[in-house]
Amino acid sequence: MTASGDLACLKTANLSVRLGRALVVDGVTLELRAGELTALIGPNGAGKTTLVRALAGLLRSTGQILLAGKAIGELSARERARQLAYLPQGHVFHWPMSVAAVVALGRHPHADAFSPLTEADRAAVERALAATATDKFADRAVTELSGGERARVALARALAGEAPILLADEPTASLDPRHQLVVMGLLAEAAHRGGAVLAIVHDLTLAARFAGRIIVMERGRVVADGAPRDVLTIKLIAQVFGVEASISDSDVGAIPILRRPL
Amino acid sequence: MSRVALERSTHGLILGLVGLLVVLAFISLTIGPAGLSPLAALTGLIDGDGAAGLIVRSIRLPRTLLALLIGATLGLAGAALQGLLRNPLAEPALFGAPQAASAGAAFVIAFGYAGATSFAVPVAGILGALVSIGGLVMIAGRRASLTVTLLAGLALASFAGAATALILNLAPSPYAALEIAFWLLGSLEDRSNDHVLMALPFFVASWLLLGINVPAFRALTLGEDAAASLGVDIDRTRLMVVVGVALGVGAAVAVAGSIGFIGLMAPHLVRRRVGSDPARVCLPASLLGAVLLIAADIGVRLIPSNPNATAIELKIGVVTALIGVPFFLVMIFAERRALEGASS
Repeated sequence: MTASGDLACLKTANLSVRLGRALVVDGVTLELRAGELTALIGPNGAGKTTLVRALAGLLRSTGQILLAGKAIGELSARERARQLAYLPQGHVFHWPMSVAAVVALGRHPHADAFSPLTEADRAAVERALAATATDKFADRAVTELSGGERARVALARALAGEAPILLADEPTASLDPRHQLVVMGLLAEAAHRGGAVLAIVHDLTLAARFAGRIIVMERGRVVADGAPRDVLTIKLIAQVFGVEASISDSDVGAIPILRRPL
Repeated sequence: MSRVALERSTHGLILGLVGLLVVLAFISLTIGPAGLSPLAALTGLIDGDGAAGLIVRSIRLPRTLLALLIGATLGLAGAALQGLLRNPLAEPALFGAPQAASAGAAFVIAFGYAGATSFAVPVAGILGALVSIGGLVMIAGRRASLTVTLLAGLALASFAGAATALILNLAPSPYAALEIAFWLLGSLEDRSNDHVLMALPFFVASWLLLGINVPAFRALTLGEDAAASLGVDIDRTRLMVVVGVALGVGAAVAVAGSIGFIGLMAPHLVRRRVGSDPARVCLPASLLGAVLLIAADIGVRLIPSNPNATAIELKIGVVTALIGVPFFLVMIFAERRALEGASS
C-alpha cells in the first residue's frame, strides 16, 4: 500500500522517545489505517507501552506524529481526544461510580464540561454500552464487577468517544480465555466499523487470530510490520521472543504454537 | 456502595443541607453571653438598632459567617484533594496544611510584621499551606501509595508544628506567644466583620479554582493517563488544586486558627448518601462542611467550661480533632487493605 491516501488516520515519522537517559522508542515510522485492527507485539521492555503513550500524546517525543493530517502538537488536548481514544493497561476505576457514569466519561472531549450530556452524547453512550454488552449492568458500581466485566466497561468508555483511532494497551491482560476472545472480537468490530485500532497483545495466538496486521517491536524499533502470516514466522519468533515455535495452519489463520524457550 | 446510592439524586440532599444551614445559622445568631431572646436577636440582625443590633451584627454575625465560610471551604478542599489523589483519606490537616499555615501566620504576627486583621496574615498562612500541599502532591507524584503520602504528610505536619513552637519561643513578647498558642488551637470567638472581609476573597478564589476542576476529578477516576487522553490537563489541574486548597486553608487558619478533619468527614458522609462520583460529592460536601462547623461552633458555646475561667471556651479546633481523629481511625480500619496493598 502506498504511504498516502485518506485511510491513514495516524502517521509517525522517525518517532523517538527518551525516558530519562534511555532511548525507549527509537525512530519508529508507521501508519495506522481506518478499518484495520493492528496488533503491536514484542518482548517485555521493547517499548510498546511507551510508543502507544507517545502516540496518545501523553509523552514528549521527537520526530513526527500526524493525526488526521495535522501534527499532534498543533491540536488542543480536546481536539486530540476527539481524534484518538486511549485505553490504558489495567482497567483502573478509583471511585465506585456506576458503569453508565464511567462510560459517559468517554464523552468528555465532546461535552461542555458543566452541561449535562446532549442527546448525541447519550446515544453514543448507549451504543458503546450495547456494543460491549455492558448495558445489562449499567447501573452497577464498576468496583463490584468481575475482571472481564471491568475490561468491557473500560473498552466501552474508550469507544463512547467514537474517535476514529483507538489505542489499547494490553486490553486482554489478566482476562480468562473467553473474555480474551470477547475483547479481541470487540476490537475487531470497532475496526470493522471503520476505526483504526492498535492493540498491544502478548498472546501471539490472539494476535494471529484477530489482527489484520502485526507490528513487531524489539528494543525500541519496529522490526516487522505486515500480515500475520508474513510476520509471525518461526525465524522471527525465535529471534525476537527467544522461543522455538511451529506454525499451524487452521481455518482461523496461521497460528503459532510455542514449543519451548530457546 | 449500594446501587441506590449511585443513582439517588443529590437535589434532596442539597436542599436538606441548605435548610439545616439556615436553621443552624439562626441558632448560632441567638446564643451568646448577652442572653438576648431569639426574637430580639432576629430584630437586632434585621434593623441593627441598639445594643441587640450591635451585638448580633458585629459579634455574632461574623462568627456565624466565618463558621459557614470556613466549613464550606474545608469541606470542598477535602473533596477536591480526594478527587485529585483519588483517595478518600486525603485531607488538608493530614498533609500538614493547617500546621504549615499556622507557622506562616504565627511568624508574621509574633514578630510584629502585621496586625491580626492585616492581609499579611492570610497571605503568610496561604504561603505556608502552599508549601505543604505542594510538597505533598509532588511527593505523591503519579503513583505514590497512600502510605507514602500519609507518612510525608505526617513529616510535614511535625515539621510545621516544630517551626511554630520555635517561632513562639523566639517571639519578642511572651504575652503575644500565649495569645498565638491559643489562637492556633482554632476558635471563632471574638472575630469581627474585618476578619470576614479579609478572608472572603481568598475563600471565593479557592472555590472557583477547585470548582472548575470537578469535571477533571471525574475523569481522574480512570487514572491520570486515561484522564489526560480525554483532554484533561493533569499538570494544570494539580496546580489549581494545590493553589485552591492552599488559599482556602491558609485563609481559614489566618482568621480562625487550625481547624482540621472537616475535609475528611464531610465528603465521606456525603458519599454514603450520593455515591462516589466527584460531580455529586463536591457541592454537598461543601454544604455539609459548613453544617458541621456551625454545629461544632454552637457546641463549644453550649458546653459549660470551667466556671473559674468563664472567659475561656472550648476551642473549636479541639472539638473537630476530638471527633475527626477517631473518625479517621475508623476510616483507616475500613481502608486498611488498600493501605497494606501500598498502591492506590
